[in-house]
Amino acid sequence: MKNITGSLKESTDALKKLLPAEDILTFSFSSAEGLAFTVVFADAITNKEVLGDQVIRPLMHYEGKPAAEEIGKCIVSPELRTEKELEKLSREVLAGNPVLLWEGMDEAVIVGTKLVFVRAISEPSTDVAVKGPREGFIEDVKINTSLVRRRLKTGELRIEMIEVGRRSKTVVALCYLDGTSVKRNVEEIKRKLNKIDIDIVPDSSYLTHFLASRPYSLVKQVGTTEKPDIFCAKIAEGRVGLIVDGSPIALTAPYLLIEDFQSSEDYFVPPYRATFTRLLRLFALLVAIYLPAFYVAAQLFKLQLFPIKLLLTISGSIRDIPFSPSLEMLLVLLVLEVLNEASIRMPKYVGMALSVVGALVLGETAVSAGFVSTPAIIIIAFSGIGLYAVPNLIEQTSVLRLVMLLVAGSVGTYGIILVTAFVILYLVTTENMGVPLIAPFSPMVGRDLRDSLVKYNLGSLQKRPGTLKSPNKRRLR
Amino acid sequence: MTKIGRRQIYFFLACIAPVGKLVFLPAQLADVAKNDLLFPAAMQYLIQTAAVFCVLLLAKRGMNFFELLANTFGKIAARVLITVYAAFLFFAALLPLLEQKLFVQSVFYDTLPSLVAFAPFFLFTAYLCSKPLASYGRTWDILGPLAIVGFAGILAFSFGSADFAALLPVGAVGFGGIWKSAVSAFSWFFDAALLLPLLGKFDYEKGMAWKGALFYLAGGAAVLLFLAVFYGIFQETAVNQLFAFSTTSKYFSGITMLGRIDYIFIFTLGLVMAFYVTLPLQGGIECLLLAYGRKKYLPTALGVAVSAAFLTTVLLLDYRFGDVLKAITGAAAWIFPVFASALPALMLLLRRERRETA
Repeated sequence: MKNITGSLKESTDALKKLLPAEDILTFSFSSAEGLAFTVVFADAITNKEVLGDQVIRPLMHYEGKPAAEEIGKCIVSPELRTEKELEKLSREVLAGNPVLLWEGMDEAVIVGTKLVFVRAISEPSTDVAVKGPREGFIEDVKINTSLVRRRLKTGELRIEMIEVGRRSKTVVALCYLDGTSVKRNVEEIKRKLNKIDIDIVPDSSYLTHFLASRPYSLVKQVGTTEKPDIFCAKIAEGRVGLIVDGSPIALTAPYLLIEDFQSSEDYFVPPYRATFTRLLRLFALLVAIYLPAFYVAAQLFKLQLFPIKLLLTISGSIRDIPFSPSLEMLLVLLVLEVLNEASIRMPKYVGMALSVVGALVLGETAVSAGFVSTPAIIIIAFSGIGLYAVPNLIEQTSVLRLVMLLVAGSVGTYGIILVTAFVILYLVTTENMGVPLIAPFSPMVGRDLRDSLVKYNLGSLQKRPGTLKSPNKRRLR
Repeated sequence: MTKIGRRQIYFFLACIAPVGKLVFLPAQLADVAKNDLLFPAAMQYLIQTAAVFCVLLLAKRGMNFFELLANTFGKIAARVLITVYAAFLFFAALLPLLEQKLFVQSVFYDTLPSLVAFAPFFLFTAYLCSKPLASYGRTWDILGPLAIVGFAGILAFSFGSADFAALLPVGAVGFGGIWKSAVSAFSWFFDAALLLPLLGKFDYEKGMAWKGALFYLAGGAAVLLFLAVFYGIFQETAVNQLFAFSTTSKYFSGITMLGRIDYIFIFTLGLVMAFYVTLPLQGGIECLLLAYGRKKYLPTALGVAVSAAFLTTVLLLDYRFGDVLKAITGAAAWIFPVFASALPALMLLLRRERRETA
């Protein structure tokens, strides 16, 4: 590691050599007694106004000794550090913190005048709550950690900053409650983060792959949330949280599948209502996965599944359809997936046109032209809506729906049962950090069932989830 | 995931094990015992409960199946014995597998499908057998409540159609008929044998043997209730109803309006049955692994090999189910009480203290 020397010119040149980019600027000036200074900073990400007011202007009138301590006193900034290593100094410049060098000194002062462009804190679009807090994480790690700190005003809250990414040097804030989170989990996450040798980390989703014990798993193994209240609640239960700079989606581990059936709103409504909503979400998800598959299997292999009147209606609708039931359903599903994908990426002003094309042209016309039947469209529409009842599991469930549909079309209802058996076996054998994915159902943890699909009154939830093995068991005294 | 919870064992005994008795067995019992079909079933349940009690008592010693045998007979003899036991479990798997195949072909399809439709089941068995035996406990946590829901649903839909007076007069076929019927039912009662490979994978708690026996009896009581409903509905024609639990609910009056919604429960029990049927296979594989060591890919290789062998067997025996059933419930029926009832009881006589070399 190269250090800066006492020569201002040499040090400045060495730093400029490390940072040859055109947006890395230098500004040289002298104090009242003729002491030469140079500030190296990155244009656009350094607050030049603050730099001028708090650093350069006071130093121009400086009359003391050229010592770091004395000069530090003259600078009006709460965030000052000294550093000798050129490598570290260059990193600070790239982070937006200017580096101050002066003649005859073998260490430089780093001034925290980073210019941060952030969007306002707003309600996340993926996790809207009618009742409950509306704040959502944004892309800045410091603001995000401040949102967490504001909710957990305890010295037990530990926030450790870890850099990940060879080039991006992305800051990852590791958050946990000391004495509540399992130490082994904290250490394991730290070990996994330190082991990551990746070029850049543009988003938190990059880390999920490295944190999972089964990287190719169908189901996710790390929890995600955009809301600081949920994040804090999860940390308070004994989980470990990760906030990644540049990403509004925070990660939590260990993850339980049931988390995605819970919503922050469940804690702001009466327990019976929360229970009903959770069961409804499960029902919607099951309908979304199984309905198209059973519809196809029933048509192809087991007509008895339809009530007689419905069977007559369906047979009337599909009489002139040129495709087999499975192909017909697959086509409608494909159209829905394409429409869905296009509507997410499409500019908003084209969205309306897309709805018209999707609903009227493709829907109505395809039915009247005899390409697809009305029941097929109704079933896929119902399935599509059901899928969004649990938005965090869409990626997994849409794949499962497709698999079910293919199996139903080829093997029939028994195929659906077998795939279900596979899925059950897969889910019960999946663990992350020693925590079973589908706990508290398997292994069954009686106490944790009180806040699973069924939601008990808050007064009954005296202990933290036993599944997470938190050393601090009691949360309600 | 190295241990099975005690609750999971109870779930198996009370909820999963009865499912295997709801397909062919009711018709088989009704064949000889007729309206007295509850008695042979009850006799079998009492015998098997005693065997389950013995196995759970063995768990107290903290040794696995192989260690228990090796502790008394030495490792070589234990290997031979446990291999024979594995062979028994594979043999015991045959009837439930064929039963399952016919059940699938009949209940899940309107017209008889090709054998290919059932073949994917062996992919599932191969996958299941590659998993550690302890993972079964986890599945029982899910399947237990599912079995309860499925069973309760079917009973609720069937209860109103049953004429329980058909079960009278009691003792119409005499003790001889009841005994003959009980003997023919031996092939369905080997649940204690399924527990033996699990020894050492769950911890014994005080009174576990009694609790286990009670849970098993509770499952038995549910089966007896079903048998009563089954005979109450079909009476003299019960012997022709080969897929019992898929037939009793079809006379529910709401079906005309709603369609066969009872299929939700039938499919649920079908799902539970898919797991139950693979138990003897996995138990057999576990016995071999206990005897010959658990090398890295051996469980998967054995799972694939055993599944392939059974697929071939099922293909070969496709048109010979009648003969197989006759053989298993007739000449070969004695194998089941010997291995599944007498052997667990005799194992209580094995050396209690752990030998250094075992």
